[in-house]
Amino acid sequence: MTHDTDRRRPISDAARLAGLLERVGRQRDAQAFRALFDHFAPRIRSFLMKRRVSSALADDLTQDVMLAIWRRASSFDAAKASAATWIYTIARNAHIDHYRKAVRARKIDEHDPHFQPPDQPLPDDLYERAEAGQSVTGVLSGLPDDQRLVLQLAFTEGLSHSEIAERLDLPLGTVKSRVRLAMNKMRQGLGEWK
Amino acid sequence: MTQRGHVLDDSWYLDYAAGTLGTEAQDVMMASHVELSDEARDRVAALETLGGAVLDATDGEDVPLGFSVEDILRRAGSEEDETPSALPGATAVVDETLCLPQALQDYLARTGTPVRWGFLGPGMRKAILWRGEHGERLWLLRAQPGVAIPHHGHRGSELTLVLKGSFWDGDQEYRPGDVEEAYPGVEHDIRIDEGGECVCLALTEGKLKFESPVLRAFQVFTGL
Repeated sequence: MTHDTDRRRPISDAARLAGLLERVGRQRDAQAFRALFDHFAPRIRSFLMKRRVSSALADDLTQDVMLAIWRRASSFDAAKASAATWIYTIARNAHIDHYRKAVRARKIDEHDPHFQPPDQPLPDDLYERAEAGQSVTGVLSGLPDDQRLVLQLAFTEGLSHSEIAERLDLPLGTVKSRVRLAMNKMRQGLGEWK
Repeated sequence: MTQRGHVLDDSWYLDYAAGTLGTEAQDVMMASHVELSDEARDRVAALETLGGAVLDATDGEDVPLGFSVEDILRRAGSEEDETPSALPGATAVVDETLCLPQALQDYLARTGTPVRWGFLGPGMRKAILWRGEHGERLWLLRAQPGVAIPHHGHRGSELTLVLKGSFWDGDQEYRPGDVEEAYPGVEHDIRIDEGGECVCLALTEGKLKFESPVLRAFQVFTGL
């Protein structure tokens, strides 16, 4: 195991993160958890805030996610998913669970226009920041701009496909067909993806 | 192979993987489908990998965190004995012969929703699990072998996920994990397979539209 922190070598970084998560799962290794925390906690919080979660709530949810990582690390299987993917699903679910609970408590009307996304500029080109680190971003780079933009808006800003259609002022069918084309292309390029 | 209309349009998988579905009923429907269908699980897994890459590429250095890693470790230490799965109402008795997926059982437990069967038609029972504010309904259908659901159309879209047994729409068989998506304007005849009873989870946006006036009258008291 190398402790290479060079950000320009993201493949070994992914292996390092998976190794840390396995150490937390098998040995309750607090030192490994601290390293995971340094990498992921700021990212999780920023990720949630890009989805229009308030700063205070983003802090709370990030703590819940980190705690869940500690508790569930033994169920992480590096053969099935990367550490980032596994943690992404925990963060996503924590966000949804919180939101659904608020809806059930009648604090929020899910269809209230207040909770529709405000007009925002298009996101920075995520791909450039990701530096083709993981194979998936390599695949994203192979997509035409219009298809890549749809996937970026879905994952970075948390827009549904119909919200993406509104944002880009496109017919719903156009967005759906871009999603289909992008996913077909990903499926072709990603036989080895699992 | 579950292909040819036994999975959904990719936009459903994108919204599910990105966590942007509109309602909890849609979450439950999609989570149940993903649990039961290999094809759906592969699609979602591919998209979640993309989500992981997005998380990893997020620049997290703009604002200092309001807590430290030691806070988390302290919480972990003090709550070590808590079982996170101890949900309120998790004791609800679920009929095992229904073959309900875990995602649906979890939903019923956490919301305290009972499964109450009512008459739907000859050989058919329904249990409404949730009604939305805009006429949406999440419900279970339980039908006896060989039952036919007469020619009907839809005023809104409807997803039907097979949980147990199978049904036929024309020459297409739908088995556990398969979903049929019906749109407004699509008309179909459904026949339950002779082999055994069929249980489906359905998410309906508008009322069903039967051609026969008798069946239309029937809707008044069955509530579909």
